[in-house]
Order: sequence, then C-alpha cells, then structure tokens
Amino acid sequence: MPMVTRPAFLPGLPNWSRKTFFALALAAICFAFAFPVLWLILTSLRPESGVYYVHRGTEFTLGNFKEVLGQERIVEAFINSAVISTLATVFSLLVTVSSGYMLSRFTGPAARMWFGTIYVFRCVPYISWVLPLYFVVQSWGIYDTYVGLLLPHIAVHICFFSWLMKGFFDGIDPSMEYAAMIDGCSRWGAFIRVAIPSALPAISALAVLCWLFTWNEFLFALILTGNRVPVITVVMAQFVTEMGLHWNLMAATAVMALLPAFLIALFGQKYVIRGLRI
Amino acid sequence: MQGLARWFVAATAALVAVTGGAAAQVKELRIGYQPSPIQDASIAMFEAWGAKNGVKIVKVPNSYGVYVEKMTASLTSNSDQYDVIWHNDDWGQTWAHLLEPTDDVEANKFGSKWSMSPIVFANAQGQNTVVPMGQTFSVFFYRSDLVKPEEVPKTLEELVTMSKKLQADGKVKFGYVGGMSMNHSWFSWFWSMWANNCDVLLPAYERDNKKLAEAGWKSGLTDPCMQKTVEYWWDAINTHKISPRGMPAYDRNEANAIFMAGDAAFTVADTLWWGTFNDPNKSKIAGKVAAARFPLGPDRKKPFGWDDIWGWAIPKSIPEERKKLAKQMLNAMMLDEEGQTKMFKATGAPPPNTTFWPKIAEQDPFMKLLKEAVLDSPDKVRGAYYFPQWPAVHKAFNDAVTKAVTGKREDIAKVLAENAPLVSKAAQ
Amino acid sequence: MFGEQQRFVLLLIAPAALLMLLFQVVPIVIGANASFRDWALYNPKKTWIGFDHYAAVITDPAFLYVVLPNTFLFMVLSVAGALVTGLALALLLNRPFRGQKLVQTILLVPLMVAPVVAAIMIRWIFNDQFGIANVVLEAIGLEGQPWLVQRWSAFCIILLTDIWLWTPWFTLLLLAGLQSLPKEPFEAAAIDGTTTWRVFRYLTLPMLRPVIVVCVVIRAIDAFRTFDIVWTLTGGGPGRSTELFSLYAYVLAFLNLDLGRGSAAAIVGGLIILVLGVVMYRLVDRIAKA
Repeated sequence: MPMVTRPAFLPGLPNWSRKTFFALALAAICFAFAFPVLWLILTSLRPESGVYYVHRGTEFTLGNFKEVLGQERIVEAFINSAVISTLATVFSLLVTVSSGYMLSRFTGPAARMWFGTIYVFRCVPYISWVLPLYFVVQSWGIYDTYVGLLLPHIAVHICFFSWLMKGFFDGIDPSMEYAAMIDGCSRWGAFIRVAIPSALPAISALAVLCWLFTWNEFLFALILTGNRVPVITVVMAQFVTEMGLHWNLMAATAVMALLPAFLIALFGQKYVIRGLRI
Repeated sequence: MQGLARWFVAATAALVAVTGGAAAQVKELRIGYQPSPIQDASIAMFEAWGAKNGVKIVKVPNSYGVYVEKMTASLTSNSDQYDVIWHNDDWGQTWAHLLEPTDDVEANKFGSKWSMSPIVFANAQGQNTVVPMGQTFSVFFYRSDLVKPEEVPKTLEELVTMSKKLQADGKVKFGYVGGMSMNHSWFSWFWSMWANNCDVLLPAYERDNKKLAEAGWKSGLTDPCMQKTVEYWWDAINTHKISPRGMPAYDRNEANAIFMAGDAAFTVADTLWWGTFNDPNKSKIAGKVAAARFPLGPDRKKPFGWDDIWGWAIPKSIPEERKKLAKQMLNAMMLDEEGQTKMFKATGAPPPNTTFWPKIAEQDPFMKLLKEAVLDSPDKVRGAYYFPQWPAVHKAFNDAVTKAVTGKREDIAKVLAENAPLVSKAAQ
Repeated sequence: MFGEQQRFVLLLIAPAALLMLLFQVVPIVIGANASFRDWALYNPKKTWIGFDHYAAVITDPAFLYVVLPNTFLFMVLSVAGALVTGLALALLLNRPFRGQKLVQTILLVPLMVAPVVAAIMIRWIFNDQFGIANVVLEAIGLEGQPWLVQRWSAFCIILLTDIWLWTPWFTLLLLAGLQSLPKEPFEAAAIDGTTTWRVFRYLTLPMLRPVIVVCVVIRAIDAFRTFDIVWTLTGGGPGRSTELFSLYAYVLAFLNLDLGRGSAAAIVGGLIILVLGVVMYRLVDRIAKA
C-alpha cells in the first residue's frame, strides 16, 4: 500500500503532545468501554460479604469460582450453551445464505414478497410472541429439549441475517455465476461453487456475531428451557431467587461465560471486519 | 403446509425420543420449584419419604423471573410436567381453579388456620388447594450492638429520633433502609402503611373480595393516613436523612446489602434472612442482629403481625394415581418433625406443622419471638390481596407512591389523588 | 407446474420460510388471535371481544403521553448516540497506530457479556450507596446522586447502557465499510491537501451511506423494542417515568397475565415501528444522499 501522508490530527500542536493526547484519549475510551466488565471481574473475586461494596475492603477470593464450578449443572450448562451456539450458528447461516442469495439475485413478486415478510417479522416485538412460542413448543413436545431451543434461535436470526446476506451478495459481481452457468453449471452449481465461496468472508463474519448473540441470548432460553437443558444464561438467572440474588455466584458464572466469548471475539474480529461489508 | 408441519413434528418427536425422552417406568414424582433454602429443606423431607417408599423424587428447578408465567401456562394447557408445584399466597386465587383440592390431606389440619384461610387458597367450591411449606413473613430487624432491646423504636416517630441519635453519634451512616421499588413494596411501604391503619384498598386489612367489590375497589391512596405514610418517607429521606436518597428505587438486594455492610441500624426483611444476616461469610454484622415488632404510626395503638405461607400444590390435570401418591408424600412431610425442625434451623422460617412450634420455641429464642410477636398474635395482616388482578393493583399502587415520594413534598396529596382511580381501575 | 427458475427460487427460501412459519408466524398468529379475545393466562376464556383491547391500549393516557414519547426519544437518542460513537471509533481504528489491535479488542467487550448481567452490574455501579460512581464523585468532592430515583438521570443511565452495548456493533460494520472503500479518491484528496473535515464530509460519509442506512434502520427497530436492560435497570421507574413500549406490553402479558391485552399492545407497537421503519429508510437515505 502506498504511504499516504494523512492530514494531521490536531494540527498546530507539537508532535509529542499530540501523541500523548492521542494515547490518553485512547486509554480513556478503552477504560470507559471495559469498565463495567472490569468491575464485574473484580466483583466476582470478592467474598460474599463484600460483593456489593466492592471498593470497601481488600479481601479477594477464588471461592466463588470454586463454588460455581462445583455445581454439576453449571458445567453441563457450559457444554449445552457451546453446543447450541455452534449448531445455531451453522444452521442459521445455512438457511440464510440461500435466502439472502435469493433476495439479491432475483427481482419480481416472489423476492419482493419475501423481503416484505422478513421486514414485517423483524418488526414484531419479542414480547408478543415468546409466550405463544412457549405454547407452540410445548404442544409439539419439544419444550426443554435441544431442538426446542435450537429451532426458534435459528428462526429468530432469519430476518436479520437474510437482510445482511442480501447486502453481501449485492456487493459480489454476479457475472462469475453467469459465466459458470454458460460453462454448463446448474443454478445450484453456480450458487454453491461460485457464489458461496466468494461470500465466505461475509459468512465467517456473521458466524462470529451469531455465535456471540446466541451465547448471550437470554429471553428465549429462559422461556423455552426448564431443567433438562440448562444453558448458561438461564443458570445465571437462577441465582436470582425469591430470597434475593446470589450476586457473587452470578458474577463468577458471568465472568466464566465471558471467556469463550472473549476468545471468539479475539480471534474472530479479523474475519468480522474483513467480511462485514454491506 | 399441514403435511409438512406434521412431518416436521414427527421428525422432531423422533429426535426427542432419541436424545432423552426415554424415561424409565419407575414410580416417580416431579417437583416444580424455585431453589431457595426453605424449598430445598422441604424437598429434603420429600426425598426422605421417597427413599423409604421407593418413589424417585425428580427436582425441576425453575427460574424465578418467569416462574408464575410459565407455571400458569403449563397449568392451563393441561400438561403433566409436574406433580407437585411451589405455591404462594400471592397467586392463591389465580391458580385455585387449576389445582387439585387438598382437603383429603389429613395432616393439613395441623397447618395454621390463619394462613390457609379459604379467602386465600379455596377454589369456587370452597375446597382448599394448598399444603403449607412454611410460614414466610417479615419482621423488623435492628442492630443489637447499637440498640438495647428496651430502646427499640415502638413508633415511627421513635424510629426517626433513634436513627438521628445513632447517626449523630457516628455509630451508623443511616437509620433505616428497606426495599421500596415494585415487588419490594413490603419492606418499606406496606409495613409502615399497615402500622398506621392504612392499606392499598379500603376498608383497611379487608381481604374478602366480595366486601372489596362492595366498596367499589376503593383505593387507599386518598385516605389521609396514606398521605401521612408518604410524607413520613419523604421526610425520612429528605428532611431527617435517616434513609438513603436512592431508597425509592431499591430492591431487597440493595437494601439488605447496605444493612449487612453495617451502614444502617434498622431494616425490614423476611425472617428467612435471619440466617444470612448472622452468617459471617455473608454479612459484616453477624451476631449483632436482633428482631422486634414493627414500629407503629400515630393512628394505630395495637401491635400487629404479618403472616403468610408458602405452600405446595398439585395440578388438577395429572393422573389420579399420581395425585394420590403426591398427597401421601405431602401428608408425610407435614408430619416429619425432624425435617421441620431442621428446616427452621436452616432457614428461620417457622415450619408448617403448628404442633411443632412450642417445642422449637423452647429451644430457640428467635422462634420464641416469632411465636409471640407474629404467629400467636391475634392482630394479623395478610401480605397480599387474593384476586388475579393483584399484580396490576400492586404495580399501580407502587407507581403512585414512588411518584409521590420522589416528587415535591407539597404535591404528595395531589399525586396520590390523581393516581387513586388507576388503582381502583386495575382491580376491576 | 413451476419453471426451473421458480423452483430454484422457492427452494432457496424454503428452509428459512419453513422455520419462520413454525417458530415466528405461528406464535405471532396465536398472539394476534389472543389480542381479539378475553384471554387471561390463568383463565383463557377466549371469547371474542373484537377491538376492545386495542381501544384500551390506544386510549390509555400512560401509553400515549408517557410510554410512546419515552420510546421515541430513547430510539432517536440511542441510535444517534451509538452511530456517532461507533463512527468516531471506526475512524479512529481505521488509522494505523501502535496497539490498534488491542484497542479494537477492548472496544468489542460489550459484545461479549450477557446484556442482563451487564445491566445488573451497571445498576449496582449507579447505586447511591455502594455504587462506585458515587464513591468516585464523593472522593473528588462532588455530591453523589441518587441516579435511579430521578427521571432524567435514570433515563440517561438506560441510554448510556444501550449505547455502550450497541456501539461495538456500529464500529464493526462501519470499520468494515471504511476498509472496503476505494483508496484512490482519498489519495487524490491528500495530494490536494484537503482538510480532514472536508475529506470526511464529502468523501467518507457519502461512500459509507449504504452501510449507515442499513445500520440505522435495523438498529432503530431494535431500539424501539428494547426490553431487558430497562427492566433490569429501572423497571420503568421511578413511577413509570422511564417506561418504554416493550415494558408496557411485558407488564400486561407477564405481570398481569393478560395475554390478550399484552398482545394487543405489542401489535400496536409493532405496527408503529413497521411504518416508521419504512419512513426512516427513505428519510435516512435522502439525508445521506444530500
């Protein structure tokens, strides 16, 4: 890349003070963004008697983590959450990549209708359908099962991801696909062998986001699971009881739940930024 | 489309069967509950019974946030997910028609007559639908290292003077702290209101829906005593500064956290917190806490106790033989003296069988106090109302008093008057 | 009966359409059906009552004069706040500097934590007694505030939390957009010595327009139905003064167990945002073009 001399940031100031200012501003922004989570981590290290007055006292302990990890349900919940997030990511992308492709490559009443449907259902507030969804899932006998949590999660991503996928495919020149079709590829061949590979950066970007969304998703999990399929957000919610909130344990669980999300975000951000071009 | 849907259902059903639906045909009872010390102790008694009788007890914990919603939906859709479920006076009438009558649970006769009143738990035919789990109510807690038993405030006014004295002496940052926000009204609003012959709906302390309807679901907000109650808290927060300014937004977790950090001398909380307050791992004031009767307002002279229960119930929709088994289990729990004594020790909640109370009180001073001040008191108050719209009424009430106490002092009467019709409307 | 192309088109959307039908359309239709009936969760009589629930919702003064204005204000400020912050951060991260990768990772932190837990944490941070916000203020000699009992400070905390939560999302999308812009116009501008502001105003912004439009519209729809952080932070209080539309529907359906009325409220809100979304799309598109 040819080096371009950028217009100076804060012109008129000497170079060193500009640099210091820049560094300080950056540090302040980072601190502000990370603060609630830093504070959460600090909280999780406090004994129960100091978990609200985090700034008061200097006792720190790993006891909360020990107590949480000693609960079988939590370990199970971590595994369940990881499996469901991964499966939901895979299947969401499978169904939305084709739906987004359709929206991008075809015009006409079918595409318009599909886009209209997606838009309308994107607008319906969750609050209005989680309770009926509970009835539906229960009456089909899939309440509190993997399938019963997985399928609604996939369904909920359809609107948003189809919309983004359409944007990605809009940015990819379709002439390659036409060329492939002239060379004897079927429509499916052109879609699978030409369009999907060129959309891979976008797909990997969405995969990272989808995984993070599902990992942290709360309302659906709360309504659609009971005891057999504990997932991590619901287990956290169960530290809220009629007798009050076990904040120390909740914080410790939340910090542990942060770790996989952090790794995904750390290694995934490159793909997100490379692929998320709409 | 229907064909597809049917195919889909069949496919998922097959998947479910493979992944975990293969329940063995053992005798078992499924308990739907909410993890908490008192329910855990009660279920421990179920398990003891189950071990003796060859019945497997399957514990199904639920999340607190949506317990009522999900359980209600499950009850009305006639599913047989649970054989025994946690029941509470607050939704006694909401569920009564969906629950199996429990009059034939013989040991129910040992339950507290007050707490199991038909007003709370009876269905339209007058049959009882609950088996008690334990008594759950709040008392007035104070710091025994700062306040001698004879100095404990007997009136709301003394609560202010005593608090100010302690604050002036530098003993404590605040006098009183207690939950005030929606669904935590009990810990400041309700007790102080009852202590002054005041109530959410009029006539005060009336819980019979027929009489409330006859009175037109009249809101207590316009009663002069309510203005006094709101002004009391306004002054406590802004004039006397015996309570923190953020208190109108506090839930019980925040209030208890401040009390347990040693920053307040008085609070009101469920007796179940007795154990937590006195646990050095959880609280900085362990061993320095004692309980007493509620301070009274200027309009009330007789002390009062507030007494409710948590209970267990059986869904109407489950098969007969499981109902029978569930009743046997609940009956055995009611008669389990050892288990109930353990429950009190672990939680501070008086157990469901009243005949065990005297013996526990002999051994335990806290139980002795609860027995004298609340359980045996002739002047009792019920903590909730018993009609399905109660949550709406509660919220309308809480919104009104919160608005009044966070506004200007001279506007209190006006705000209460404006909101009174909303409370009445919510009840109908 | 269908041509080859139609078959292809239908097959492409079939899996998505099927899932949507089963898990979105069916429940929404059940909810919509309930909104015309006397349907309490504890006593589903299901008698048809026509538009009664709708009439009750749209004539409720609390809905008209508190909930809707709050919701619109929240939507506008939250989207604008997250867009401006996100854009600023994206521009910042688009410059190469030492530690750029580290800063970028830190800015993504809000994406990693469950929003409900973050909201509880923020609620405690702003508690007037044990919250660190007041501890810091008092340490530097300022008076601590009871943040959550005053309408506008409570509203601002909700708003800040929402902006904090969603800024990373804007940053990612806009940064991806920035990095895909062609280099030539910027090089030409640099040679001409155009000021930073003019480059941003006349080059960057117009070229980012499509990204911004999509971001704003999608985010606005979501902001309109924000629920969990508000419920956790203030529960709509003090005294309903920070109540947003989804809380209104939630209280009806979940607290009062009135599925019919709750569904009606949710549908009213859904219709509002549906229309608003279309208008917004046109408007934002035009503003960005100008």
